[in-house]
Amino acid sequence: MALTGLDIFKQLPKTNCKDCGSPTCLAFAMALANGKASLDQCPHVSEAAKENLGAASAPPVRTVKVGVGEQEIVMGDETVLFRHDKTFYHETAVAVQVSDTLSGAELDAKIEKINGLVLERVGQKVAINLVAITNCSGNAATFKAAVEAVAAKAQFALLLVSEDVAALEAALPAVAAKKPLIYAATAENWEKVVALAKANNVPVVVKGNGLDDTAALVEKVAAQYKELVIDFGSRQQAKTLAEHVNARRLAIKKKFRPFGYPMLAWTSATDPKEEILEATTYVAKYASIVVVKADEKHHLLPLFAWRMNIYTDPQKPMAVKATIYEIGEVTPDSPVYICTNFALTYFAVEGEVSASKIPGYIVAVDTDGASVLTAWAAGKFVAEPIYEFVKDCGVLDKVNHNSIVIPGHVAIISGKLKEKSGYDVIVGPQEAAGIPAFAKARYPQLMK
Amino acid sequence: MIMIGERINGMFKDIGKAVREHDPKPLQEWAVKQKEGGAHYLDVNTGPNSEDQTVDLPWMIKVVREVSDLPLAIDTTDYNAMEAALIEYGKPGAVINSIGCEQEKIDRVFPMAAKYQADVVCLCISKSGIPKSADERVALAMEFVANAEAYGLQPDNLFIDPIILPVNVAQEHASEALETIRQIKLLSNPAPLTTIGLSNVSQKTPHRPLLNRTFAVMAMAVGLDSAILDVNDDLLVDAIASARIILNKDIYCDSYPKVFRQR
Repeated sequence: MALTGLDIFKQLPKTNCKDCGSPTCLAFAMALANGKASLDQCPHVSEAAKENLGAASAPPVRTVKVGVGEQEIVMGDETVLFRHDKTFYHETAVAVQVSDTLSGAELDAKIEKINGLVLERVGQKVAINLVAITNCSGNAATFKAAVEAVAAKAQFALLLVSEDVAALEAALPAVAAKKPLIYAATAENWEKVVALAKANNVPVVVKGNGLDDTAALVEKVAAQYKELVIDFGSRQQAKTLAEHVNARRLAIKKKFRPFGYPMLAWTSATDPKEEILEATTYVAKYASIVVVKADEKHHLLPLFAWRMNIYTDPQKPMAVKATIYEIGEVTPDSPVYICTNFALTYFAVEGEVSASKIPGYIVAVDTDGASVLTAWAAGKFVAEPIYEFVKDCGVLDKVNHNSIVIPGHVAIISGKLKEKSGYDVIVGPQEAAGIPAFAKARYPQLMK
Repeated sequence: MIMIGERINGMFKDIGKAVREHDPKPLQEWAVKQKEGGAHYLDVNTGPNSEDQTVDLPWMIKVVREVSDLPLAIDTTDYNAMEAALIEYGKPGAVINSIGCEQEKIDRVFPMAAKYQADVVCLCISKSGIPKSADERVALAMEFVANAEAYGLQPDNLFIDPIILPVNVAQEHASEALETIRQIKLLSNPAPLTTIGLSNVSQKTPHRPLLNRTFAVMAMAVGLDSAILDVNDDLLVDAIASARIILNKDIYCDSYPKVFRQR
């Protein structure tokens, strides 16, 4: 958000000397707030004021990066409290914990399992983003060995978890090139941990105890180093939620600098199902990293799906992959339904085809995610592109007939489509809700 | 858009007579009628014929509150009467209407606002009169905001009124008032609220409702938060409801003009 006139006015010398070309300092402040003047025009403004104004015009949440190359994670740089106001930009990174008490074959097996935590959902790859190596052994050498073993094999960025300065000092240098995130700088150890982070050019988590304490600690740390992630230190869901909401509000609405960093949350539930529920709260409420113990695909998939949904851009229509979908146990006799690849349209059709109890193919034509009537009006869902898409996708090679069902709302294109393609074009119901009745009447022999 | 109903004002003959005779009926009828029109606040003003505002104004507050739970804008420049009225009102959330930008008025009224947790209508008008340019008006607005901080008030406890004059005799003021509203919203965070005595724009013109509603929607587009107006002018309220929809302040539904009045 832009600076207000009052914010700027407070930093000006209040001389009303007109050297800037404005009649008063207030008029100059308003001109600055309106973007009609630049601060350099005032010869009397102090260096401190320049720095304050510069900092206040910086983005509300700093961008912090972890990892390198394909493993890189970008965090922060968020601007809204509600996704419908614009969008959330950087997906929450999921970190899975590995204890350094594991070694040898046990550790190898665990790394292999974690590397397998990559899934596919609606045509996109979804995965965890970080491996969190925790110094449960309490031993620096053991921690170093585990970190190196994980770094050598894991396909994700690293989070080094130890509040013991000696353990971090031992483990970090060998893996610094992978730009891990180190955890944590606390009230007790921050000077050494932050110096270590700075020397190795890696980001660091500042762990405080509640809002006030964390703000004070971040302020001290930020004077020396700004590649920070915040952990408020609480391990209760309700408290963490409240802290995240307050911190993000203060950062965005009040430009409160100590909270202008990405936030990290730990789940505390021991049951994986409860843990995932807890993690969904943090994904929805501003966490840039959520650290979990769960490492089973069936536990993580709902969390990935939720994350993907929350971080989609609400201004852009949700689209499904434009391709052929098989609903039920299709046979060469099954009907072929044509619709667009707008997610709402596709899922409405899919639900009804499925409810009709007659297996069928659905061809989601690429309309850039537009609905049937929108795409029709824009010339993307008319005879030519539909014919091209149906021909190229090869759906009619899978069946023993030559007919396609088109939405009733675009009945008008049926003649031209038939002429163009030579297909038997059947006009279906206007609303997808009519599909079960339509299918039962038309294909009684296919009823199960 | 906060609509402050203007009708309980002794300048109107029926209210003036009722105040002199201490007859509650016309006041209470207008309180009910303005709420039905969609008013969020009711302005209460004794009018110029009150012999003793410290008696008449609290009486008006009392009888209006008997029939209405809407918050009140207490409209007087007699600050002893204001204080008596605030005591009678007896709860947070009233609006003090109004003060001009003079240090002694600020020093008298801002502490009172803080004490009774009332908001204040601040007029962009100084000892030397009504400034013409937007810049001069904004400078006065900044005075109010800077003073508010010193007295423990938040900028959004202020309803800053850039002052609108009738377009038939002071035509060049309206566009300056609009620019003032736009700039006031950039003054601070949170921004001060803005208000306007809407009906002033059309004084002594033959097109009052047309001018009123046209100015209302123009002012809303540049950030007007509230206005003292005729809430029983249906076309005006429809225009305000429509402007809110167009500005994405309220979620659209087909019955939005009705829904707006019910809030």
